[in-house]
Amino acid sequence: MAKEVAGYVKLQVKGGQANPSPPIGPALGSKGLNIMEFCKQFNARSQEKMGMILPVLITYYKDKSFDFVIKTPPAAILLKEASKVKLGSAEPNRKKVGSVSWEQVQQIAETKMPDLNCFTVESAMKMVAGTARSMGITVSGKAPWDN
Amino acid sequence: MPHTYNEIQFTLDPDLNDIIIAELGELGYESFVETDSGFLAYIQQDMFDEAALLDLQTQYQDTVPLAYATQEIAPKNWNEEWERNYEPIEVAGRVRVRASYHAPNPSFEYDLVIDPKMSFGTGHHETTTLVMAQQLHLNHAGKSVLDVGAGTGILAILAEKLGATQLTAFDIEEWAYHNAVENCAVNDCRYIAVFQGTIANCPVGLYDIVLANINRNILLQEIPTYNQFLKTGGTLIVSGFYERDMTDITQKAAEVGLKVVTQQTLNQWATIRFEK
Repeated sequence: MAKEVAGYVKLQVKGGQANPSPPIGPALGSKGLNIMEFCKQFNARSQEKMGMILPVLITYYKDKSFDFVIKTPPAAILLKEASKVKLGSAEPNRKKVGSVSWEQVQQIAETKMPDLNCFTVESAMKMVAGTARSMGITVSGKAPWDN
Repeated sequence: MPHTYNEIQFTLDPDLNDIIIAELGELGYESFVETDSGFLAYIQQDMFDEAALLDLQTQYQDTVPLAYATQEIAPKNWNEEWERNYEPIEVAGRVRVRASYHAPNPSFEYDLVIDPKMSFGTGHHETTTLVMAQQLHLNHAGKSVLDVGAGTGILAILAEKLGATQLTAFDIEEWAYHNAVENCAVNDCRYIAVFQGTIANCPVGLYDIVLANINRNILLQEIPTYNQFLKTGGTLIVSGFYERDMTDITQKAAEVGLKVVTQQTLNQWATIRFEK
């Protein structure tokens, strides 16, 4: 028989660095879940994305057990990685501090597709490019659909 | 004690949360919870830098206008609820791990009392069980043991109960250090020296047995160092990683001349015992 779901907790945590402090501690501890068990599992499963902010959706059950799904990193994080920008531009619309190529935007869009409400890579790319603009990151070259 | 944290409530268009979260990740913020009006961000109080936050607010004033409010979250044992109700566990029919509020069961050879206080190591996790099961195969009489990333101290405590007479256990977390000291006392352990730190702070010495239940990345970094602490013919038991990581771990150990004696898995978690 399937276990009865008691609720969900949605967090964003750095890969490999979950610890029992807030918000993980209070969010899981108040429900009687074993926080240390979650941290051990999360850290082991995210070793390859050490230090990268990862959304995680935790499902907890009436018997105090839980499981969780780690989603893809937010587009903003992937853009930062791709552009090697430490901080966004102070004036995003005028002074650009980093850039990514459309190929990189496509890679990010494809990485994010499973978690986005987009039906095509092109619409996902437009979403990622919009995020880049808001962060002051230039997308260099012509968009593939303008060629 | 655990750290004091600051909880910062950010109010902004939730569609733009990820941009600010990405920036905060660079400023030492550890984790985030989305809300209907933005998100909550968490940072150790001694890392909190109000000036950096004001800079961020200015930087994004045109594209992502935001407001924030800060409150302090005092340290406490967040795992208390689970710890109040945990069930004792048994390993290989010989060891029973229980809290101090459980009655002892004399039918087990080894009775371990662990009150974890937000530290890892009660035997409920597969990796702890796997390492303990391996320990039961080793002759500990009069031996020296190093427990790396000791958590509650459970592995060192079992090692002493198995006969080890010179033990060192350490953990990077302050609360785990205090908890290991408490658990050693509750279990009448006399030979375990506990300190807070990492392998880099460990006094030079040679051990018959080194135990390390941590994680893949730390193990890959530190296995060569563990090897330096190991006597020739000594045993290294590692765990805290998944089956899929076994090849990398074994390869790293082979580079320093450690030979696999046995390996075990349970629910995709793995442990490997090496000999020097």
